[in-house]
Amino acid sequence: MTEDYTPFLPLSPAALHILLSLAGEDRHGYGIMQEIARQSEGQYKLGPGTLYDNLQKLMTQGLVEASPTPPAHDDPRRRYFRLTSFGCGVLSAEVARLESVVREAKVHLRAPRRAT
Amino acid sequence: MRTCYRCLLCLHPPVFRREYAGEMLWIFDQSVASQGVTALLFDGLGSLARQWLLRSGWWKIALALSLAVLQVVLGGFATMIFGHRHLVEPAQDPSVVNMAEFAHGGSIAHQPLTVGIVMYLAVFITGGLTVMVIGLTFWMKSFGARRRHAALRVR
Repeated sequence: MTEDYTPFLPLSPAALHILLSLAGEDRHGYGIMQEIARQSEGQYKLGPGTLYDNLQKLMTQGLVEASPTPPAHDDPRRRYFRLTSFGCGVLSAEVARLESVVREAKVHLRAPRRAT
Repeated sequence: MRTCYRCLLCLHPPVFRREYAGEMLWIFDQSVASQGVTALLFDGLGSLARQWLLRSGWWKIALALSLAVLQVVLGGFATMIFGHRHLVEPAQDPSVVNMAEFAHGGSIAHQPLTVGIVMYLAVFITGGLTVMVIGLTFWMKSFGARRRHAALRVR
């Protein structure tokens, strides 16, 4: 059985970065912000308002869920989030879509331009 | 500035506030040095607008209200432009509005504003608002159902 992820695509930049940051491991809100800043080399900075607004939307859609047990060494007040298997599928579909966009862009940029 | 941000969080919808306000305030303390107060306050304002207008369904009320106001304004302009063709004598008693005459093309543009006219407008706007909110709600529900159905479709 294969699920059709197209109704969720394309993802917004914030949603894409949040899902990407959760792809490796479960993280709390501030950890997600730091991971996004690291992955984008500081070019994309997410504020807490945008972060939790998007997390709420992603949780409603079933792409992200609250992690039941935070790591033992961490502050128990912090809530951890993790990617669901459905969220992982949506992220993979979005990455595949972006790959085809990049491939298409490379083909068109490589081709010689016609004189106008 | 922390107090400002806390006030901003208090203005969010209760469900969102209960779930995330504590963590957002904690992140504000952690990232105020790196991101700057202004950016964080604008981010909070953006989140506030999105939460009330998009996520909580209040956008339906706002849109319906705007459409109702537009309807009244257009009606006013139409009365101003075409109303002179159906001028009627003002009612003997200014507190009484001749609704039958108004319904058959009579103009109230030259009549004094009475309680009856205000009541008529209030009923007109409230009815329009109710119909628009119900319509938008049903439309959005059918849209959400289509999305869910498409997502779970088996290839």
